[in-house]
Amino acid sequence: MKDDNRNGTMIEMIKVSKTYPPDVYALRDVSVSIADAEMFFLTGMSGAGKTTLLKLLCSMEYPSNGLIEIGGRDIQKMRGKKLAKMRQKIGVAYQDFKLLLDRTVAENVAISMEVSYKKPQLINKRVKDLLEILALTDKHNAITGELSRGEQQRVALARAVANSPTLILVDEPTGNLDATTTARVMQLLTKCNNSGATVVIATHDHSIYRDTPHRIMELRNGKLHLVREGSAQ
Amino acid sequence: MNFWFAVLRQVGRNIRQTWPSQFMTFLTVSLSVLIFAFFYLVYNNMLNVGNKLGDDLQLIVYLEEEPGIEMQEQLRRKILAFDEVENIRFISKLEAYERFANQLGENRDVLNDMPRDFLPASIEVVPMKDLRSLSQVKLFSDYLSKLPGTLKVQYGQDWIERFYYFTRLLSIIVLLSGGLLILTSVFMVSYTIRLTILGRQAELELLKLVGATNNYIRTPFLIEGILQGLFGSTLGIISLFSLFQWIKIKFSGPGILSLFEFSFFQPQTIFTILVISIVLCAVGSYSSMQKFLRM
Repeated sequence: MKDDNRNGTMIEMIKVSKTYPPDVYALRDVSVSIADAEMFFLTGMSGAGKTTLLKLLCSMEYPSNGLIEIGGRDIQKMRGKKLAKMRQKIGVAYQDFKLLLDRTVAENVAISMEVSYKKPQLINKRVKDLLEILALTDKHNAITGELSRGEQQRVALARAVANSPTLILVDEPTGNLDATTTARVMQLLTKCNNSGATVVIATHDHSIYRDTPHRIMELRNGKLHLVREGSAQ
Repeated sequence: MNFWFAVLRQVGRNIRQTWPSQFMTFLTVSLSVLIFAFFYLVYNNMLNVGNKLGDDLQLIVYLEEEPGIEMQEQLRRKILAFDEVENIRFISKLEAYERFANQLGENRDVLNDMPRDFLPASIEVVPMKDLRSLSQVKLFSDYLSKLPGTLKVQYGQDWIERFYYFTRLLSIIVLLSGGLLILTSVFMVSYTIRLTILGRQAELELLKLVGATNNYIRTPFLIEGILQGLFGSTLGIISLFSLFQWIKIKFSGPGILSLFEFSFFQPQTIFTILVISIVLCAVGSYSSMQKFLRM
């Protein structure tokens, strides 16, 4: 396990608020620092603001107020190539998956590596390895739209980690999965974390963070509250 | 995988997925180029015909009476006072009679009862090459008609005027068809690319989210536009060339068309048309992509 108290900070959020018109507060004055290689659990009821927070971190949306830094850089100031490069280092498994339903599973997983111009042999190997870890080997050439929700969820997760990102954001990773597959998913995320990636998991599934040694924070009405300090070393 | 490999693969994928609209755009661009190039070719050839006719252009000034040596010199000075001319030739009444008799050939007998000085003396004036535009020839003709002792000036006014207005009309058609080419190339390509973008919005959004650069997203569409321009204009030019050859063979027999040599475009003109089409299509594609990337 990596040391959560390293000097390096991956995510820095200072007094971040997000409002949607006309006056819906999704996040209010959220401040949190997440270290390099930390695994961080974000919990809360549906509609608490978990997804909004993840969207802000991957610069899919911008905050109404406050500062967000990823790897020491203000993401609101990033445009063009710099923003693209930063996004290549962030793997996101979206709650709505954002898969290309008319493409094969392999193509969906490969897309994040293709934009980084990885070699085709490397891409093929990585895709095969990930599908094996997530028990999707037999779905390699299947059309993604024909998969079950649980399978699609795993494909989205495979795509998120495929490019070996330094920051992985996962939104409800186990919502459609049985206990065995949930364990596989968590094993994969832990493996990525052990390899040095910062992992932020937004979930309301109590079973996956119940016994975790990592830090857990809860969003309530758009405000962040500490549930438990991490003890992982 | 490098940038160009990824981009070309994307181009192939786009074409495979949206080939019906791509094909329609390709045909539209070809047709636009064909229409524009057709009128431009006709216009070019008409200008050549005009130049050729201009080479044979001469003004004939019919005189009231035969000028003496001194008057000939005076008239020559007056003519040269307007502008330099290529040639001035005085034709006496007798010379005119002889020419007419020669033209009649075997039928020259009909002149037997006519006096040998019944035709008027005249001056044949061949203007300089730079005096060939209609307005100048007209001015020159007006000037000559006001010379003392002038009966009439002839240079085939009606025919030249009609020819001039025909070439003017053609130049307007060339401009209009050029406008059509611009509109169809830019808007059709832009529209096709927009359709492609709409059809693949989810993918393009995802590409942005996983860190694709704007160039990675934009270049395949730009290449599609360039290919539309290149292949569309090539087909248009090839079609025009085939049409040109067919007309040439079909009307190669004796007739008015055989008097003039019609020619196809010079290679540099073809190259220019191709380049302009490619640029227009690329602009159409680029503008659509920019709108998407700004969203």
